[in-house]
Amino acid sequence: MTDAAPLIVAVLAVPLGAAVLVILMPTAGAADRLNLATSALTAALTLVLAVMALTAAPDVASRGSWYVLDTAAGIFLALVAVVGFASAVMSPFYLRHSGRSWFTARRSHAWYYAAFNFFWAALVALPLTNNLALAWLLIEATTAASALLVAFSGKRSALEAGWKYVVLTTLGLAIALLGIVVLFVAADGGGSGLDRLDWQTLARHATGLPHEATLVAFVLILVGLASKIGWAPVHNWLPDAHSEAPPPVSAMLSAALLPTVLLIAWRTELALEPALGSSAVQELFIGFGLASLLIAVPFLWRPLPWKRLLAYSSLEHMGILALGIGIGTPLAIAGVIVHVAGHGLAKALGFYTAIPLLRQDPSTAERAPRGVARTSAPTATAMSVSLLTLSGLPPSPLFVSEVMILLGGMDAGLIAVSSIVAVLLALGFLGLAHALLEGLLRDGRRARRPTRSAAAIGLLAGAAALALLGLTAAAYALPDSDIVEALIGSGA
Amino acid sequence: MSPAAITVLIVLAFGVMLVRRRSHATLLVAVQALLLGVAALALAGNRPTEFLIAAAILLVRAVALPALLVFTRRRTPEPYLVVPATTVTVRLVVAALVALIAVAAIPPLGLGDQPAEHGAVALLSLGIAIVVMRRPAILQVLGILVAENGIYLLAITVPGGLPFIIELGVLFDLVLVVTVAAAFTQKIHGEVGSGDTDLLRGLRD
Repeated sequence: MTDAAPLIVAVLAVPLGAAVLVILMPTAGAADRLNLATSALTAALTLVLAVMALTAAPDVASRGSWYVLDTAAGIFLALVAVVGFASAVMSPFYLRHSGRSWFTARRSHAWYYAAFNFFWAALVALPLTNNLALAWLLIEATTAASALLVAFSGKRSALEAGWKYVVLTTLGLAIALLGIVVLFVAADGGGSGLDRLDWQTLARHATGLPHEATLVAFVLILVGLASKIGWAPVHNWLPDAHSEAPPPVSAMLSAALLPTVLLIAWRTELALEPALGSSAVQELFIGFGLASLLIAVPFLWRPLPWKRLLAYSSLEHMGILALGIGIGTPLAIAGVIVHVAGHGLAKALGFYTAIPLLRQDPSTAERAPRGVARTSAPTATAMSVSLLTLSGLPPSPLFVSEVMILLGGMDAGLIAVSSIVAVLLALGFLGLAHALLEGLLRDGRRARRPTRSAAAIGLLAGAAALALLGLTAAAYALPDSDIVEALIGSGA
Repeated sequence: MSPAAITVLIVLAFGVMLVRRRSHATLLVAVQALLLGVAALALAGNRPTEFLIAAAILLVRAVALPALLVFTRRRTPEPYLVVPATTVTVRLVVAALVALIAVAAIPPLGLGDQPAEHGAVALLSLGIAIVVMRRPAILQVLGILVAENGIYLLAITVPGGLPFIIELGVLFDLVLVVTVAAAFTQKIHGEVGSGDTDLLRGLRD
């Protein structure tokens, strides 16, 4: 086992240092350039960690007193690195035409990048955290940094979304903290201090934990984290924050933050399952999953503005991930991994598409897009890649992952749940396909000239399509791989 | 903490639910934090590290955060008091019901101190009720602080206490979130001319 601590410190130091340095930049252009350079370094170092973790599977690549570099960390680090870097690349396209903002025009780029890097650093640290309490502290820290980004435009609607996000997620996390205190007391035989809440220590002593107190603690933790993951019925902030945030930030929220917080819920579940029994845990996750799908799918049929539609799609996909974790068979877990990666890529691309879309037709902030195929071919291509993937149309990796999760449910004897989910997924597919057709073909007029952001999104759509097809191909080998074995066997 | 002191903490939380003026509510939460801080100091006894941390937490919770909210209130003068969405009686009854149901619904937490467990759950639920039922942004921030005070009550009851890193980490995050919320309060006031969050109701599907 190698010592990854120096590299982990470097990975965290780069975005944190960038957050401070970028404020000192004299011009917006200098801030853009510095952020691009440091983001490339952050992403590269994070990917090195991810590769170390994944190549060591099913073993843990490295473990220290405050971190763990295991397979689950590898998957989520790769996701956070790719989405974070892509958001950094797309941010200048947004900022160049963002108009008014919370901050003065001269300083808006610098403050945007400062908050962006703090947020990204917390997201990189989360999968590496070896401890439930430290994970809670990092999740709470993401709220402060990302709330400022959600309200970055300074518009009334953005302030409303940011306010709702701060208040609701902070209250949710307060409930989770109550659960953590209860769990700390319940686990009094497993260590003297902070290490009592390490995933490994909790798992080692789980069979000796008092059932009732541990169950109360787990329910409080899961309900609290659900408010941050955006599971229904505690999802109220999600559609507003995702639709009002700058598109690169919406991508970070949906494609990186929500699944990474879900990883913490998953790690907690795996550590405590011996104390709780698998059925109680399964019911909670499946309950959140079904509720999220039931709430999300009707909204996918409504003519919503592009980013709001993507926000409800996030609710749907977080529900699918909850179901996969709840079902918990190797096939379902393989589906969860593919789903996390596929959703991350497709959803981030979808939010980046909002940059040229809003530039070409600002009214699409308030209404569903129309006739984009005539307005801009690159934008239409990106919309198609994103929405067709998210809808689960073959050969989308999300088709494969959803089939894996459904078959996993059948394997586990959850026939009724799997049947309901299959119907809901079919309805969700039809809703998104309808939204895409309307958005591409209905009305619309030809654009005067293509924008630079449209050209960039065209390139990104091509790269994303290739990556998604690669993921689909890789998905078929996943169920029997060391990666799934590691996630099932060692506690995410 | 004694049951009488816990009762006072809950009465103070009810006060935040009922009063009209933001300054009065801020004072009530500061007193609540002061009581908790003094209890934590007493429990720390003559252990210097615990005493220092308890003192730092007391200063931040009972002095610095209320001072930040007083500063924010002064920067966001209201031309008139925000009219509550519901009457005092309704707020009182709802708050009492929420607290009672929460206390009855949550099984023993395993700390071996039932009054503190009930007090913590009551404060947490009252904090949530305050956020839901009060319109001014600062009162909603105070609701968050009431909920956090509930958890701090539980934390100081834990035998042997929580690890310092958790206590200080939670404090740091609380300062961060309240600072961001205070910045939001000022920005909302600048945008709509009031800290009344009911004026922010544009996002609906």
